[in-house]
Amino acid sequence: MSRFDELQKHLLYALLLFVLMAILPLFVTQRYLLGEVITFMLWVSVALQWNVLMGHAGVFSLGQMLFFVSGSYTVAMLGSYLGVSPWLSIPLGAAVAAVAALVIGVACLRLAPAYVALLTFAIGFMILTLIISESECYITTGGNCLTFWGGTNGFSQFPDFGFRQWLRGSWLLGNYFTVLGAFIVSLVSSIVVIHGRLGLAFRAMSDSATYAASRGINRTKFQITAFVITAFFTGMTGGVHAAHFRFAGPSLLELSTMMFILAMVIVGGLKSTWGPVLGGVFMMILLEVAKSFGEVRNTLIGLVLVGFVLLLPKGVAGAGSSILAALGRSKKMQNTAGEEHDRQAQNA
Amino acid sequence: MDAILQIIITGLTLGAMYALASVGLALTYGTMGMFNMAHGVFMTVGAYSAYAAVAYFGLAFPVALVTGLAAGAAIGAVTHLLVVRHMLKTEGFEINIIVATAGVAILSEDLILKIFGAYPFRQPLQLDGTFRVGGLAVTYQSVGILAAAAALVGVMTWILTQTRFGLAIRATAMNREAAMLMGVKADQIYLQVLVIAGLLAAAAGIMISSLATLSPQMGANPLLRAFVICVVAGLGSVTGAGFAAIALGLFEAAIQYYYGVRYGFPLMLALVIIVLIWKPAGLFGQQDVIRS
Repeated sequence: MSRFDELQKHLLYALLLFVLMAILPLFVTQRYLLGEVITFMLWVSVALQWNVLMGHAGVFSLGQMLFFVSGSYTVAMLGSYLGVSPWLSIPLGAAVAAVAALVIGVACLRLAPAYVALLTFAIGFMILTLIISESECYITTGGNCLTFWGGTNGFSQFPDFGFRQWLRGSWLLGNYFTVLGAFIVSLVSSIVVIHGRLGLAFRAMSDSATYAASRGINRTKFQITAFVITAFFTGMTGGVHAAHFRFAGPSLLELSTMMFILAMVIVGGLKSTWGPVLGGVFMMILLEVAKSFGEVRNTLIGLVLVGFVLLLPKGVAGAGSSILAALGRSKKMQNTAGEEHDRQAQNA
Repeated sequence: MDAILQIIITGLTLGAMYALASVGLALTYGTMGMFNMAHGVFMTVGAYSAYAAVAYFGLAFPVALVTGLAAGAAIGAVTHLLVVRHMLKTEGFEINIIVATAGVAILSEDLILKIFGAYPFRQPLQLDGTFRVGGLAVTYQSVGILAAAAALVGVMTWILTQTRFGLAIRATAMNREAAMLMGVKADQIYLQVLVIAGLLAAAAGIMISSLATLSPQMGANPLLRAFVICVVAGLGSVTGAGFAAIALGLFEAAIQYYYGVRYGFPLMLALVIIVLIWKPAGLFGQQDVIRS
């Protein structure tokens, strides 16, 4: 029974966040800030899915950006070559990501965690190298050679959501609410997975792998399920990202992009539900402030990763709940001390 | 015939560098269960230090070589003292250490970029000239790489199998508590292992940069190969990593010769995944893989 209450409670929080974010444009009218909030929602959406996978399902995948890029490139390539609207290609991109995850998952997820991390990392890097090193021109426009997979520059200037025609000057608001929609879908899916039946299976496995296995919980099957679900929503986010920025390129697969999102997950705290949102706020503000100190982005990301793993391995969310737990315990101890006192008084 | 000879020479050179890069990685995983994402940066640090020793301080070739190796050893030690030491035996070590060393990697890479810039310098530590075998020109550089790699891996094997120090490392790898009860200082062993890994990585870095150029990201490519080699050999198997490195070096050279440079790594990765489906613990791995 309590499981449903937990699920409903978090869904209610999600609804609250949705309302808050929906009325935000009333107060934030600056284009730049609105753009930053959009970026925030996109990356947090990826971080949310990664947290489900890494913190709850116990799959240490370093290939999340690969699924993101599957979505982006589907939107970018269909848009550039065939002029397909992103409204059609985003679901398709998500499906492409899910299929890629199924193939990679079946091949890799049977292995021990460290192997999974390395192989997913290697596959992502391999795709990056293949995209960059392609040299045959697919089409030539105005003397510029465009390779089939976009090469080092990637794709740009393909059809976006089309709000520029409908809403004219306030097209950014159209994009804002589209991204918000994607963000909330991703958030709700992560809550449902964490607090639903799948999450229950993961909790059972992390509590006692042997007992869970003996009760018939198939680790690999559940992990592949989680892998495919999270890849689907990561791919969807990738597609939305491509349609919003009208850009998709190999820079998305670079180590620094992945580390930035990993930092959000780690700062927020693995095994939490809301950690990635907190971590996302922290990282966005930190890097925004740091911009005024020159090119220190990667240095900071490195420092944050090392610092949090060393000092706060459970992240902001974990630290918050352990402080609450400590407060609760000291209250309980006072109570028991009080009872002890009463009992002694009675004896006397 | 010439083609095959060419493939063998390129493959052995590649394999020798991969062996140096992956043996250190396998040793760290074998002893401490730690996957070091910063191993590639150790290579970069070694290569740049050797370069700086020649370009900025005008040191002689052997001195520069030693400087490079020492720098690799030093960054291994620093990583242990500042990061790894505090995380040993904490909950979720296996995953947290990957995150932490990835942080060290991106941090150090950025620092190198800030100090040296992105200009692709030429590694001054080179052997010039070629000689002919049959119809083929073989560079002294390849021979030097092969010889140095063989010597370093040989010395490593000798240390691990023949000395008391090696015995202590192997004992700690087998069972940390039991080794400590026998008087092995496990923490010190971990430090020494990371120093050795850093030194070997630096050697690999100097060699790799002598064939290509220096760049802050130069560690990424060989690190990936080293990962794949360690995984296919079975994480933690040092000898296995050596053999797998040579085999995959030859395989990659053959693919590059017949299908082009682009497909060398992808096909290698595909081969490795097929091997892992057949043997989930790797070819030489002994550790149990949790199957459900």
